[in-house]
Amino acid sequence: MSQAPAPASPVYWRLNTGVYRLIGIKCNDCGHITYPVKKICPECGSLNVEEYKLSRSGTVHTYCVQWAPPPGFEAPIVPIIVDMDGGGRYQGILTEVTSPEAVKIGDKVEMVFRKVMTDRGLNVYGYKFRLVEEE
Amino acid sequence: MRGKVAVIGAGQIRFGELFEMSLADMVEEAYLNCLNSVDKGIDPKEIKAAWFGQWSGGFIGQGAMCGASLASFIGNLEIPVTRLENGCPTGGDAFRHACLGVASGVYDVALAVGAEKMRDKPSAESLGGAGGGGGAEMGLHPSWMMGMGGPGIQALHATRQMHELGYTMENFARVAVKNHHNGTFCPYAHYQFEVTIERVLGSYIVCWPLHLLDCCPQTDGAAALIVCRAELAKKYTDKPVYVMGSNIGIDHKNLWDRSSFVEQLSTVRAARGAHAMAGIKPSDVDFAELHDCFTNTELMNIEDVGFARKGEAAGMLMNGEFDLDGRLPINPSGGLKAHGHPIGATGVGQLCEVFWQLREQADKRQVKLTNGIGTQHNVGGDAFGVAAYNILSRSI
Repeated sequence: MSQAPAPASPVYWRLNTGVYRLIGIKCNDCGHITYPVKKICPECGSLNVEEYKLSRSGTVHTYCVQWAPPPGFEAPIVPIIVDMDGGGRYQGILTEVTSPEAVKIGDKVEMVFRKVMTDRGLNVYGYKFRLVEEE
Repeated sequence: MRGKVAVIGAGQIRFGELFEMSLADMVEEAYLNCLNSVDKGIDPKEIKAAWFGQWSGGFIGQGAMCGASLASFIGNLEIPVTRLENGCPTGGDAFRHACLGVASGVYDVALAVGAEKMRDKPSAESLGGAGGGGGAEMGLHPSWMMGMGGPGIQALHATRQMHELGYTMENFARVAVKNHHNGTFCPYAHYQFEVTIERVLGSYIVCWPLHLLDCCPQTDGAAALIVCRAELAKKYTDKPVYVMGSNIGIDHKNLWDRSSFVEQLSTVRAARGAHAMAGIKPSDVDFAELHDCFTNTELMNIEDVGFARKGEAAGMLMNGEFDLDGRLPINPSGGLKAHGHPIGATGVGQLCEVFWQLREQADKRQVKLTNGIGTQHNVGGDAFGVAAYNILSRSI
């Protein structure tokens, strides 16, 4: 399969700080927050950007429940877009949830460290999100 | 660009699961249909340049494509040929490049061909090839991209459309009902059967909130168009169709950078630029072929190109305004939903439909023409950050 990811790939090694330490950038001109780190703001083209550590919590902006993932992935996967506390959006996976009724837009979520996949016997780790328990 | 380029020929093959045909076979047939469609005839040697819209390259196992591929398929080695890939707008952009080649004054006659072979691999692998999986091919990490791809990206929009605009799964299903109905009148459509709202909502959930029948099929197909300098058009046909605007719109490549999930700025920018180029308003358009890869996407497109205000497309749809006999028919060909979505061929095939509609050659699916203007749209690529929008008119 042409899209098969390889855990030892330099692609993932290069993304380490972005994925594991949540380091991105904030543009001092337009305020756009994004990741991974880059020198040019993708929103406005400004070079006036600084490193920005993303929050580990936020609220659900939107989500879906993927029942037909590509080969090698177990269904269902719940992709979500999160409005992060403090600004910026994050694209990730919601864990511990398998039905659309279990989550709604605006729910609070937080990052947890999880194995995201196994490829040729090697584990790939990353953050997933889980719903924050109400008091 | 406005009025400088004319379309003089259009040809395609019936889209579908064409196991008996190779990519080369499909291109040959579409190209020959296109040549034969030129009313007063054309010598293939009059074509001075060609662009080949071919999205998948080696992803789906048909071998990597380049300019030499198309040149060999059509037996014309003496002209410059470029393969072009730009996400789902690949076909619409190949056409744009052929038009630019002519509008620049460099070539009198140019060819745009689109082709895709998507069914030689099982659906899941074919879809995986279409941008899903772990994300490594896109330079992204699986904790961001796991399980993504076309259905996932559009389902994220659909959920937000339901939340923010009050749209329902019934609204989305109504798009499928309309486009499948149109497809039954189109001899080139992959699917030529009716569906009901109940059948759509009863079909397997691919990616909630989208059902199997909310999704376009994986399709094989090819299509071709010949364009020439507007002044030369009457040499080839008494009924040329003119290119009034042609544009590509762009947005972020990563979903998390996008400002909205009920709007695609790539489409907004493509349409705004093309309408300005053509000197027309969206309300001047008689009908449109809009990129309905998923049913919810069609509603978003209708709003993003300027045919409706945000949040109003679903109500207009339910009132029948976008039906074949409605105020503004959308996707008379059956759309990607019924006509199929062989990525590189999709935009070129939509433009064939616009050409035929404007020449009133669309038989039972012929729409009513008031201003004689029809448009074509694609949106796709990384995070749906690329859109094509082409405006054709039967008069300058």
